[in-house]
Amino acid sequence: MADHDDELEELGRTGGLTRREVVRRGLGSFVVLYSGALPKTAVAGVPKFRHRELKNSLRIMQWSHFVPAYDTWFDNVYTKKWGEKHDTEVSVDHINLAQLPARAQAEVAARSGHDIFGHLSPQAGLEDQVIDHREIVEEVQRKVGKVSTVGRKSCFNPKTKKWHGFPENFVPDPVHYRKDLFAQVGVKSPNTWHDVLVAAPKLKAIGHPVGIGMSNELDSNMALIALLQCFGGFIQDANARVTINSKGTRDALKFMQSLFKTGMTNEVFAWTAASNNQGFLSGRLALAMNAISIARSAEDQNPDLAKKTALLPIPKGPDRRLGLEHVMGVYTIWKFTSKPQQKLAKRFIADLEMGYASAFKNSKYYNFPAFPKAVFEYRKRLGADPHQPKGKYRILDTIARKYTVNVGFPGYSNAAVDEIFNTYLIPQMFAAVAQGKSTPAEAAKAAEQQMKKIFAKWRRLKKI
Amino acid sequence: MSWSNIRSNGLSYLVVGPFAIVLAFPFYWMLTTMLKTNGDLYNPENVPFKFTTVKGDPEGRSPTFDHVSFIFHHTNYVRWLENTAFVGALVVVITLVLAVPAGYALARLSGRLGQSVGVGIFLTYLVPPTLLFLPLSRVISKLGLQDRLWSLVLVYPSFTIPFSTWLLMGFFKTIPLELEDAALIDGCSRLKALWRVIFPISIPGILTVVIFSFSLCVNEFVYAISFISGSTHRTLSAGVPTDLIRGDVFFWQSLMAATLIPSIPLALLYNSFLNRFIAGFTGGAFR
Repeated sequence: MADHDDELEELGRTGGLTRREVVRRGLGSFVVLYSGALPKTAVAGVPKFRHRELKNSLRIMQWSHFVPAYDTWFDNVYTKKWGEKHDTEVSVDHINLAQLPARAQAEVAARSGHDIFGHLSPQAGLEDQVIDHREIVEEVQRKVGKVSTVGRKSCFNPKTKKWHGFPENFVPDPVHYRKDLFAQVGVKSPNTWHDVLVAAPKLKAIGHPVGIGMSNELDSNMALIALLQCFGGFIQDANARVTINSKGTRDALKFMQSLFKTGMTNEVFAWTAASNNQGFLSGRLALAMNAISIARSAEDQNPDLAKKTALLPIPKGPDRRLGLEHVMGVYTIWKFTSKPQQKLAKRFIADLEMGYASAFKNSKYYNFPAFPKAVFEYRKRLGADPHQPKGKYRILDTIARKYTVNVGFPGYSNAAVDEIFNTYLIPQMFAAVAQGKSTPAEAAKAAEQQMKKIFAKWRRLKKI
Repeated sequence: MSWSNIRSNGLSYLVVGPFAIVLAFPFYWMLTTMLKTNGDLYNPENVPFKFTTVKGDPEGRSPTFDHVSFIFHHTNYVRWLENTAFVGALVVVITLVLAVPAGYALARLSGRLGQSVGVGIFLTYLVPPTLLFLPLSRVISKLGLQDRLWSLVLVYPSFTIPFSTWLLMGFFKTIPLELEDAALIDGCSRLKALWRVIFPISIPGILTVVIFSFSLCVNEFVYAISFISGSTHRTLSAGVPTDLIRGDVFFWQSLMAATLIPSIPLALLYNSFLNRFIAGFTGGAFR
């Protein structure tokens, strides 16, 4: 009552409009506008046949590609053409890459979902939920040649002889570095890890530290496993025996400890997958290990920075120069998908892979086909990219052919490696040493114990 | 205005002012970020709180509306807003229909058992969606509601109702029993007493439930991303991170715009009913 009286008095004084009244009218207008739009909301669900012309339907789930133009091409051009040819309504749904695992689990739990599910890493852990993709692999191999070693070792289980996924593409992982800053500190390029160690303190001193994450995220996983390899450290051997506790691992841990102390900052322990991109694109980081999303983003956002950015293969370590695929595009078909839909899905995947040149181009050379001969004249295509400095993307061909292996090399990307990857044991091992919580020997031993348990579990499940 | 008035008001502003600045600052940050060009935003030499046009910036002058218009022309943003409003409105109605009588019954008619049941109901609110989304996926699939907004309308009350019931329980307890007794003595049935006497007094509590339930629906993410995969059928909380975070590339300006725009009506809503909202939380029907 008292409020109402005050309001009446206020109206009398102010000529009819109080602050509260303005807000209420504004809100009322907003509600009216919203309500006007309500009938258009998607109450009825996804229409099965939009134009009632096409006989079949096919549903695909995959990540939102960092190149929006790729999704535009895939959703609106490629799938439409393929759909018309096969009398099929193809619908493509996208999701953020971080949500892919959760969404996959939801579809498995629901026993219902998309006909084709596109992952960004091999899914050995989902082997029991998916069909054997051998048929598609063999058909594509007959048409365009053998699958690459990285594709085979990522998606084939030598124990069960099952293809638990179809390797559609992989993404080479170059090192991005600032030519101008490295020149400023008197280091020509990060050709070896020793070069990086020499340059890092000088770069940090001029406000441009090196950026290699030691966090529970994808880029840290990839960079650190690759670094391990360069020093001769591996998670497993070719026979799926844990070999993490080795001299190579301890040397890599010591190296990273030195690199962190002299040339990096604490932020690397709290990074997300986007942090190294953002650090490099803001002009702060002098070096980052990432797929070409950094270089491509620089071309759009900061052309001046893009000109100063160069790409090289992973620096050479004392043992070798060997990197990983940054991500691997793997298509899977769930077992609970009906047989007719499985047939359609297999057809789609095979056709996409066999004509991969368009996908390669529309992804701005991010997606390399897992069947190398599906695209020809890589160097010519990469060299034709118009961005400055011209020809800088040719190095991706070298990286893809010579310096890219699967996670779990020299063994296969089995379920145990999958679990180790998804629980970030490698970044945690490096972080513990860099932060001074463990010595390299202690960290390697602790990692070995954890990994052996994981391998034992999957051996009991007869997946290794 | 007397000196003591100025002093007391000044002291209030001195205390409240810094809090207001700190709380409003993120909105200012969002507003400036959404209008910056890439060259301005990503240049560490630029002051982040003002606009600086960078020479040779392909986007031209900063500020720019390009990134704001991006969400309206290159994403299904308007559809996400509509979907969110639709789901939110329905869930609020369902919550009110179920939580108000439940809260009243537990507060008035259940004795000591009501108190325990009320706490038990509230505890279900504490079960996180990250545990429930897997079994609920199966339920949604069995009901044929995958990729439909009805899946969210069905599931969201599972966390809005427990919280709202518990909140209203506490609120109804603050209403004097004598008011109902008087109504009953005057010849009202229980239902009529509820409708004619209790509910009008309970407007603050009910409004609190409305605002909270709607906010919970707008902010919910796990179910939205698990049950709905098509972009046109998404709500805001699922659509924005899907389309505006691509791999490891964040479209920061568009993200800020996408999150600031729906904050405005929510802020208006809160402000509109501020007194009643506070009363809803603190209780008090004494007149």
